[in-house]
Amino acid sequence: MTDFLPLLQAAADTTGAYGRFPLIGARAAVWVAAEVHLMFAAFVLGVPMFAVITELIGIMGKDAKYDRLSKEFTRLLVFAYSATALWGAMLVFLLTTLYPKFWGHMAQIFGLSMWIYVGIFFAESFTLYLYYYGWDRWKAGRAKWTHWGLGLLLNVWGTIVMFIANGWLTYMMSPPANVTPETLPSEVQLWNALANATWMPINIHRLIANAVFGGSIVAAYAAYRFLAAKTADERAHYDWMGYVGNFIAISTFIVLPFAGYWLGREIYAYNQSMGITMMGGFMSWLWIIQAVLIGVLFLAANYYLWIGMQRIPGAERYTPYTKWMLLVLVICWIVWATPHTMIATREEQALMGGQYHPLLDVLGVMSAKNTAVNVMILTTFLSFLLYRRANQHPVVAWARSGTAIQGAMFALAAAVVLFFGVRGYFVEDIVRIGFSVYQVLAVLACIIGVTVIDIAMLRGAQSRGEIRWGHMPARSQYALFVLAVTFTWLMGLMGFARSGIRQHWHVWEVMRDTSPYAATPALGYAANMISACVLIFLSLVAFIFWLGGLAEHAMAKHGPAEG
Amino acid sequence: MWRTNVAILAVTVGVIGFYTAVAHLIPQLQSEVPAAVSLGSGASTEELVAAGEQVFNQVCTACHGLGTRAPNLLTDHAGQGPIGQRCAAALGERCKDYLHRSLLSPGDSLLSGFQNIMPVMTTQLDGDQIWAVVAFLQSQGGEVTVSGSDLEAAGGGEGAAGTAPGAAVSAPAGGTTDPRQLLTQNACLGCHPIDGAGPPIGPSFDGMGRRLTAERIRRAILFPSADTAQGFAQFAGMMPQTFGTQLSAAQLEAIVQFLAGRR
Repeated sequence: MTDFLPLLQAAADTTGAYGRFPLIGARAAVWVAAEVHLMFAAFVLGVPMFAVITELIGIMGKDAKYDRLSKEFTRLLVFAYSATALWGAMLVFLLTTLYPKFWGHMAQIFGLSMWIYVGIFFAESFTLYLYYYGWDRWKAGRAKWTHWGLGLLLNVWGTIVMFIANGWLTYMMSPPANVTPETLPSEVQLWNALANATWMPINIHRLIANAVFGGSIVAAYAAYRFLAAKTADERAHYDWMGYVGNFIAISTFIVLPFAGYWLGREIYAYNQSMGITMMGGFMSWLWIIQAVLIGVLFLAANYYLWIGMQRIPGAERYTPYTKWMLLVLVICWIVWATPHTMIATREEQALMGGQYHPLLDVLGVMSAKNTAVNVMILTTFLSFLLYRRANQHPVVAWARSGTAIQGAMFALAAAVVLFFGVRGYFVEDIVRIGFSVYQVLAVLACIIGVTVIDIAMLRGAQSRGEIRWGHMPARSQYALFVLAVTFTWLMGLMGFARSGIRQHWHVWEVMRDTSPYAATPALGYAANMISACVLIFLSLVAFIFWLGGLAEHAMAKHGPAEG
Repeated sequence: MWRTNVAILAVTVGVIGFYTAVAHLIPQLQSEVPAAVSLGSGASTEELVAAGEQVFNQVCTACHGLGTRAPNLLTDHAGQGPIGQRCAAALGERCKDYLHRSLLSPGDSLLSGFQNIMPVMTTQLDGDQIWAVVAFLQSQGGEVTVSGSDLEAAGGGEGAAGTAPGAAVSAPAGGTTDPRQLLTQNACLGCHPIDGAGPPIGPSFDGMGRRLTAERIRRAILFPSADTAQGFAQFAGMMPQTFGTQLSAAQLEAIVQFLAGRR
């Protein structure tokens, strides 16, 4: 009997397991549906986070400007929500028709969680409608707090929905060790499958990434409205909104690499060969593209801040520093984007004079790259700090020593980062990997310490003059578009990395992909797919922005009752 | 306003185009599905080596072609030549079995200076693919002794390659029912200590009869992931799932009774 088992399994693997999709094929169809759905989902999960934060700031500070901003964010959500649901439904239909065997496996394991998901999605939708349409009804006193509570609840539902969906996709990456090809799906315990090795790192990584993404899209929306503004008031409002969106995007983006380290570490701990495939195998060049993108993000974000300082009285005293910060960022970018591990033929190795290129061998290693990225984070944080302090004059008695301590914290963090960067060249791999933790901790400690001192030091500070909101050159707004496009593309790229490391497995080492699309494509093909997804998403977002403008125009003309 | 819209569109398309161009400029590596090997008992040495090279390039090069995470097998290591040469020089006729065991139970053959990071290859490859890789490795400076009969013993030619992971791995050479020989041939001793010696990756065989009934031992061999022994959770999933198809009923019973008798 055992002699027939392989044949039986082979037959079971292919018969009726896959459907066909015209022109682009099944994989591309699912790829587009999944990616565009994910982009909208990230937007509708990210935006509520800072909608409730800005609403809270408005309530606490009794500042209607923040309340208006929060409502404007939420209006975009109402439109984006439908698109998210549509693309989600499309994804499910494509999976059931094109990958029925795989989907049957998933549904058997996760059926209960899928029903819960739908229930919570309903609750989330109705909470969103209550939150948005109740805005003007519950706008004062205790009712306002109830309204804010709805916003909070919206975030809770959204987070639970995301966690459930993350359980499904992380199960595909890192199924529990006791699930094997022979295990029947009905024997897999739901919680065991959901709470797998990479579930929580992905949850945290996506939670932060959604805030980054939402912030960047809102900033792009504000940039569009700024460029289209007809009055100075409108320009000032959208300039400020763009700043807030960008601030949220970049400040949360700064902590994203730390969540990424954790996820990477868990992948290695789960399965070394999967980690190696990701970092040193056929995907090693993906990280060079990632470095190019993140370099653009850092440069564009800093550029926007530096231009923004032109509208802040007192900021001119910091202008001489910007060229040095630019120099540091560019050098670090070059180092970070230097390739190292390349799969080379014997002939190529002979031409290089060894396994590694002599120059790339020095700059392309993790010691140099970790140092570069940490210095970039520190530099960007410094830009933010200068921007924040530009029009303020601290009045506390300890202002001078406070600033000196902040400077020392920066110097110490940079020294720690550089020390471990250099030391990394002289120790074993296993020791060097541990050094990145010290570098990250030094930068985090600096960011937290300097911020705490800054908040205390600038309490009651004298103003050097009001920020001239709206007085921004048009080119600054294009930096916000570059940021939004780059964040979106980066999300697509990282999605490919996460999904691609499974290689020819639907479920890693449990369910093999035996379709004609089992091979994991090269980065050129993946880039085409990512670009197509980004274009589809941004086109739809542009349509939503346009709808948002129409709704606002109608309300301004006829009053909210008809809006 | 239309000028602004055109400018925004140009910036968006330009940025997307730039990233797409960068992705096309770098080397284009596709991760292929490990090539199916269905050569059967009549396979020539050249066919075996060619098939093995294909599998090796798809599955093994990420670690063994770069020389930092794992020994570089195709070029010199520690002045002893490529793998076929150094293996033959050190082990002679036993080279083939050593290489085969290294793929089935990599932790058993760990070189100093390297971590135990290699997965058990039966999770990725079937029996024929594994033998083909062994033939390719032997061809790197040594004599290829893998033959079609090895594939036949592994269930070769059944068309299972590339579709049924772990379903068609090699049977131990010969039909012995000597339990000690079987434990050695199946690389059990690479993880389970016996007679007070061996790496404690799995529970010791010493005193196993006191701890487990014959039925539990049989179940643990056939379904190793069903239960994890206390204190070995970190190694859960390492034991091959393939002994049900690898051992004959007589061989399985010989091992079960031997272990149950170790009190």
